[in-house]
Amino acid sequence: MIHLLRYLIRKVVFALAALVFFVSVIFALPRLIPGNPVGVLVSKLALQGQTDPARIQAVYRDFMDEFGIGLPLWEQFTGFVTQLLRGDLGTSISMYPRKVTEILAIYLPWTVALLLPAILVSWVLGNYLGALVAWRRGTLLDKLVTPILLTVSRIPFYWFAMLMLFAFAVYLRLFPIGGTYSWGLTPSLTWDFVGNYLRHYTLPFLTWVVICLGGWAVGMRSMMIYELGSDYVLSADTLGLPQRKLLRYAFRSACLPQVTELGLNFGFMLSGSLLLELVFNYRGMGSITFQALSALDYPLIQGIFIVLAAAVILANLAVDFIYGFIDPRIRTGHLRR
Amino acid sequence: MGNARLVVSAALFLAVVLFGLAGRWAYPVDPVSRVGGKLQTPSWEHPLGTDVQGRDVLAQLIHGTGTSLSIGITASVIAVAIAIVVGVISGYRGGLMDDSLMASANVVLAFPVILLLLVVAVFVPVRSPMVVALLIGFTSWPGLARAIRSQIMSLKEREFVFLSRMTGCGGVRIAFVDLLPNMMTYVFTSSVVIMSAAMLAEAGLSMIGVGVTKGTSLGTMLFWAQLSDAVRRGLFWWFIPPGGVLTVACASLLLLATALDQFFNPRLKER
Amino acid sequence: MNALLVAEDVKAYYSSSKGLVRAVDGVSVDIDPGDVLGVAGESGCGKSTLSNVLMMNIRPPLSFLGGKVLLDGKQDLAAMGREKVKAQVWGRVITLVPQSALNALVPTRKVGAFIKDVLRYHLKLNAREAWALAEKRFQELGLPVEALTKYPHQLSGGMRQRVVISVVTLLNPKLLIVDEPTSALDVSTQKQVLKMLLHLGAKHIVRAIVFIAHDIAILRQIATRIAIMYAGKVVEVGPMERVFQGPLHPYAYSLIHSVLTPEPEVRERGLSYIAGEPPDLVHPPEGCRFHPRCPRSLPICSREEPPLIGLGEDRFVACHLALGRH
Repeated sequence: MIHLLRYLIRKVVFALAALVFFVSVIFALPRLIPGNPVGVLVSKLALQGQTDPARIQAVYRDFMDEFGIGLPLWEQFTGFVTQLLRGDLGTSISMYPRKVTEILAIYLPWTVALLLPAILVSWVLGNYLGALVAWRRGTLLDKLVTPILLTVSRIPFYWFAMLMLFAFAVYLRLFPIGGTYSWGLTPSLTWDFVGNYLRHYTLPFLTWVVICLGGWAVGMRSMMIYELGSDYVLSADTLGLPQRKLLRYAFRSACLPQVTELGLNFGFMLSGSLLLELVFNYRGMGSITFQALSALDYPLIQGIFIVLAAAVILANLAVDFIYGFIDPRIRTGHLRR
Repeated sequence: MGNARLVVSAALFLAVVLFGLAGRWAYPVDPVSRVGGKLQTPSWEHPLGTDVQGRDVLAQLIHGTGTSLSIGITASVIAVAIAIVVGVISGYRGGLMDDSLMASANVVLAFPVILLLLVVAVFVPVRSPMVVALLIGFTSWPGLARAIRSQIMSLKEREFVFLSRMTGCGGVRIAFVDLLPNMMTYVFTSSVVIMSAAMLAEAGLSMIGVGVTKGTSLGTMLFWAQLSDAVRRGLFWWFIPPGGVLTVACASLLLLATALDQFFNPRLKER
Repeated sequence: MNALLVAEDVKAYYSSSKGLVRAVDGVSVDIDPGDVLGVAGESGCGKSTLSNVLMMNIRPPLSFLGGKVLLDGKQDLAAMGREKVKAQVWGRVITLVPQSALNALVPTRKVGAFIKDVLRYHLKLNAREAWALAEKRFQELGLPVEALTKYPHQLSGGMRQRVVISVVTLLNPKLLIVDEPTSALDVSTQKQVLKMLLHLGAKHIVRAIVFIAHDIAILRQIATRIAIMYAGKVVEVGPMERVFQGPLHPYAYSLIHSVLTPEPEVRERGLSYIAGEPPDLVHPPEGCRFHPRCPRSLPICSREEPPLIGLGEDRFVACHLALGRH
C-alpha cells in the first residue's frame, strides 16, 4: 500500500511541477517581446476595425491594470498567479469586456461531451477488436480487417473528417451538415433539443471513433500476439487450461501498455479534436480557438492555452492513477515508473 | 517480397516528390494570382478547377506539395540532429546530464505542439514555411532521442568501447565515432517516419491557422477550403486533392520505413 | 511390463528456413512407475523437443511425423490429436515444467488466484475448496503458505521454481517432466528443488519423473535411469550408476568423463573433451551420427546406422563397437 501511495504522490508532484512550468511560460512569453505588450495587443484591436479612440483608451487602461505593466516583474507574477487561483483568466480583447472564463465556459462542455465518450468508446472497442484479430491471427478475419485498419490510420484524420462529412451529410444527406444543434434552438434538457443535438453529434462522434479505433486495434493486436507467445501462456496451455482462459490472461497483460498509451496520446487527441470540431462546425473549443486566432485576442488564447495544458496534465495524472491500481508491480513496489 | 514493398513505396514517394518539385515546369500556372472565374469545377483549362478567389487549384497543389515536402525534410533533419546530440550525450554521460535532458524530453513529448504554436501565432503572425518547419523540428526529437540513448547505454558496455578507451580516445568522441555508426540504419528509418509525421502535423496546424501563413502548403489549401465552407458547399475539387496527395505521400513514406526496416534487419520477418 | 509411458520410434521435425531439422529422429524410450529417468545430452540434441513430444505438445513449426506414444499400454497419444490430449491428459496425467519456468506463472495474477483457476477448471472446486487444497499441498511440500498471496515477481527465483513445480503437480499427474529445472539456480537452491522432486515421488504425488538436463552431476543425484541423446537419437539407456561407472557408447563415455566429480579416481583419469562440433540436424552424417567425432569409429560406422539394442539388465546401446559388430 505504501508503495502505491509513494507512486501517487510522485505523480501529483510532477503534475504540479508541469503546471507551474506552463503557467510560467505563458506568463513570460508576452513580456519577452520588446516594448509594451499591452500596446501591441491593443493595437491589434484597431486592426480589427475598432476605431473609436475613447473606447481603445479605456481598453488600454484596463489591460495595463490587468497585466500589471509598470510593476516589478515579481509582483506581476504573483498578481498573475493569484488571479489564476481565483479562477480569473483575464478579459477578452476581441469580445471586450467579456471575461475569458465566461467565454470558455460556453465552449468547453461541448468539447468534453464529444471528446471523452469518443476516446473511451474507441479505446474499448479498439482493444477488443485488436484482441479478436490477434486471436484469429492469420485467418480471413485478420487478413481482411488488419489491412483496413492500417490503411485508415494512415489517412490524415482532418481530411478523413472532411470526406466523412462530404459523403454522409452533403452527398447522402443522412446527417445535418455540421453545427452543434440547429439554428434557433437553445440548449435545454428537453427531448426535442437532446434529439436534435444527438443528430448533429453522431457524425463527428462516429468519425472520431473510426479514426482512433484503428490505432488502438493495431497496437493491441501486436501486444496480444506478443503476450500469447510468452512463457506463462504456453505453460498455462500445457496445464490444460482452455483457450478462453489463456486469452483472458494475455488480454490482462496486454491492456497495461494500452493504458499508458492513453495518457501519452491524450495531448494529441485533444488537439486533434479541435481540428475535428472545425471541420464539423461543432461549437466547442476548436471553433473558439479559431476565432481567437483570427482576432489575435491574446488573453483568450492564453486562457485556451491554460485550459488545454491543464486538461492534458489532468488526463495524464488520471491515467497514472488508474495504472497504479491495475499494475500489480506498482502496488508491490517492484517497478519504478 | 520485401523488396517489392521497398520498390513500390519508394516509387510512389518519388512520384510525389517529382510532382511537387518538377510539376511547376510541366504546369507553369501561378498559384497565387487570379486566373479564372471563382469556384470553377474542373475543366480542360483548369484540371482541378479554381478556388474562392479564382486561383488555380492544380497550381496550388503542385506548389503546396513542394512546400509541404520541404517542411517535412527540414523538420526531420532538425529533429534528427537534436535527437542525435541529446541521445548520445544523455546515454553516454549519464548522471545529472541524462536526468535533466530526459526530463526536458518528457515535457516536449507530452505536450501538443499546438500549445506552443498558439502562443507563437499571436506574436509572429506572419509565418513562413521554414519557421513552421523549425518549430515542428524542435518538438519532434524526444522519441528518437530516447531510442538513441538506450542504444548507447547498452552499447557502452560492450568490448570494443573498452578498447577504444584504452587507446586514450575521449569519451564523447568514442560515442560519435564508434557507437553512432552502428545505429545509422535505425536513425535513417526513424527520420523517414519523422518526416511523415511532420508533414501531417504541418497540414493540421496550418488548417487551424497556427501553421504556415505565408506561402502555399497542403495545409494552407485546406485552411482556405475550410474557411470557405468547401465541404458544405460540395467543392470537392478543392478539398479532396490536398488531402489525397498528403495521404499518398505519408503512407508511402511509412511503407518505405517498414520496408527499409526489413531490408536492414532481414531477421525480423514476421512469421 | 506395466510401463507408464512408452514412446516407440517417435519422429518430430522442425521446419526452418534451412530445411527440416530432425530434432527427434526415431526415439524409443519407456518410463516405468517409480522411475526417475534422466535425459542427458548437449544443447540441441533434441531433449527438450522430446519432452514436448512425450506429451504430444506439438505446435508449429514442430510437426509429428511418426511413431507411437502409448499411455498405460493402452492409449496412443499420437493418434488422439492435440485437442483431445490437451483436454484429457495435460495437467492431469502428464505434466511439464518447461525450461523457462521462472516466467511460467501469470504475472498479473497472484499465485493463489492462478492455482484456483487451475483447480476450478479441472476439478470443478469452488473458491474455498480450491484455496484449502492449495494450502495443504504447499504445506506438504514445505512451501510457505504466504507465497499464495504473492505475485510471481515478488518471489525469488528458487521459490518460483518450486512453486511452479507444485502448481503443475496439483492434480497428482502420473508423469512429471521437468526440463532443466536447476540450470538457472545456485547450488543450495538446486538442492531444494531436487529434494522437492524426490519428495513428490516418495509421497506418490507423481509416479514417475523425466528429468532433462545437460549436467550429468545433477542427474546423478536424482535419476534412477539415464538416457543419453545425441543428434536426435538415443544412444544409450540404462540404470544411472551402472551407466555412469561404465558407459558403453563413446559419446556417453566422453560426456560422463567431462564431468568433475569429487571422487579420487578423477584425478588420475583427467578430463576428456569431445572434439568437433554438434552435427547439423538438417543434414545429419551418414551412418552413425556420432562417427565424425568418435575417437573409436570403425569403417562400418560411416555406412550403417547402429540400432538401439538391448543387452539385458535394462541396458540399451546404439553403437557398432559396443555391440561387437564389425
